[in-house]
Amino acid sequence: MITLIYRLILALIIGLVGWNLFTEKKLTMQLNCAMVMIPLVLRVLMVK
Amino acid sequence: MSIELITFLVMVAVFLLGCFLCKLPVSLSMVLSAVAGALVAGRGIPLRHLVEGMFSYVDTIMVIATAMIFMKVIQESGALDAVSCVIIEKFHKLPALMLCLIMIIVMFPGMITGSSTASVLSAGSIMAPVLMLMGVPMLETACILAMGGILGMIAPPTNLPAMVIGAGIDIPYSGFELPLALLTFPLAFVFVLMFGYKYVKKMDYAAVQAKLNNEPRKKFGFRVYIPLILAIVLMVLNKLVPAFSLGMPLIFLIAAAVGCFTGYKFNVLKMAKESVNSVLPVMGILMGVGMFIQIMTLTGVRGLIVTACLSLPELGRYVAMSVSMPLFGAVSSFGSASVLGVPFLLSFLAKKEIIVAAALSLIASLGDMMPPTALAGIFAAQVVGMEKYTPVLKKCLLPCLMVIIWGVLFIVFANELAPYILFT
Repeated sequence: MITLIYRLILALIIGLVGWNLFTEKKLTMQLNCAMVMIPLVLRVLMVK
Repeated sequence: MSIELITFLVMVAVFLLGCFLCKLPVSLSMVLSAVAGALVAGRGIPLRHLVEGMFSYVDTIMVIATAMIFMKVIQESGALDAVSCVIIEKFHKLPALMLCLIMIIVMFPGMITGSSTASVLSAGSIMAPVLMLMGVPMLETACILAMGGILGMIAPPTNLPAMVIGAGIDIPYSGFELPLALLTFPLAFVFVLMFGYKYVKKMDYAAVQAKLNNEPRKKFGFRVYIPLILAIVLMVLNKLVPAFSLGMPLIFLIAAAVGCFTGYKFNVLKMAKESVNSVLPVMGILMGVGMFIQIMTLTGVRGLIVTACLSLPELGRYVAMSVSMPLFGAVSSFGSASVLGVPFLLSFLAKKEIIVAAALSLIASLGDMMPPTALAGIFAAQVVGMEKYTPVLKKCLLPCLMVIIWGVLFIVFANELAPYILFT
């Protein structure tokens, strides 16, 4: 149960980071957002 | 010159070039320096290691993101304003106590997010006008915010440098609360009194009262405090009842969800997006630090630093630690904790490691006052409306020295202190 809740929390954070990625104007900050999303996506998919 | 030393020098050079010449964010500069280090060491671009490094701080990133959402909720709902009003109203006759409580409020966001920037920019920006209303000059106010931010970042329950150092030698982040509290709160109280007491004791309460935002207290009454109380209760339960282990991110989100109904109404999605936006640089830095450290480990640079630290004589270790850790903080205090904190902790393994790791995290935190990055100093100066941050750094030199001495004392007497402050 707690694993599922934490996957949902991760999905929420990914959604918020993704939203920032698309509203950010500076390319460097967009890259920063993309970098932050990589491990979060892998974790939410339980790849690692 | 060994290949490890060359690799390390290249990594540092690329990082500095990225930061200062190309004006890239610290996180991207760290990624570039990690890639450059791997290339110089003949490892190509080790994608698996880079991604592996990113995973070092995934849990920490979840704590930061959710804590910032909680922080914004209590700010938007009016809880933070209400707490400030209560403190000033109840304690204005006891200026020393009032200043100490104000310092705790300034530290609070850092305590829960582990970021000095969060402290200075959220609670700091709310308390700065209050402090200046009470007669504290602009420069001293900025110093209070900067030192409050740094000490808040180290104070329990969330201390990222201690987590980073602990992760380096597989110490769980448990049992740190009392050592961290003793390392930070006495210093915080000394600093706030040092900077503010002589001004606040002459305060005109009537003038201050007129400018405080008392509305949330009057409008919502006790319920405005419920999210704060709930978060504290859940944190305590989390520690005391193992079966009730929710984890910090879930606790922050539960308290934040409750906070949406206990005060002013606001756009929750927009607030959550802004919260994550404000901590994205810190989250990126942690990812970058993870990759940087992974490549340092892969190429043998970390081993080189560990060997150098371990081979120093005892006195030399204290001097090297006191100088190098704050200086490396010019890169990042998290980087300093990881790159130097771990080997220094290994070199002091004969002492109680939790106390040593806590004290090292305190010394590493001074990196946030180290120019050119000097996050705490720069933001504190901005918040109070100063054009240059150098006067803040100059004024904070003595407190910074006191922080180093306090940290070193804890390391020297770690074994003697352990029976009284360690309960794990």
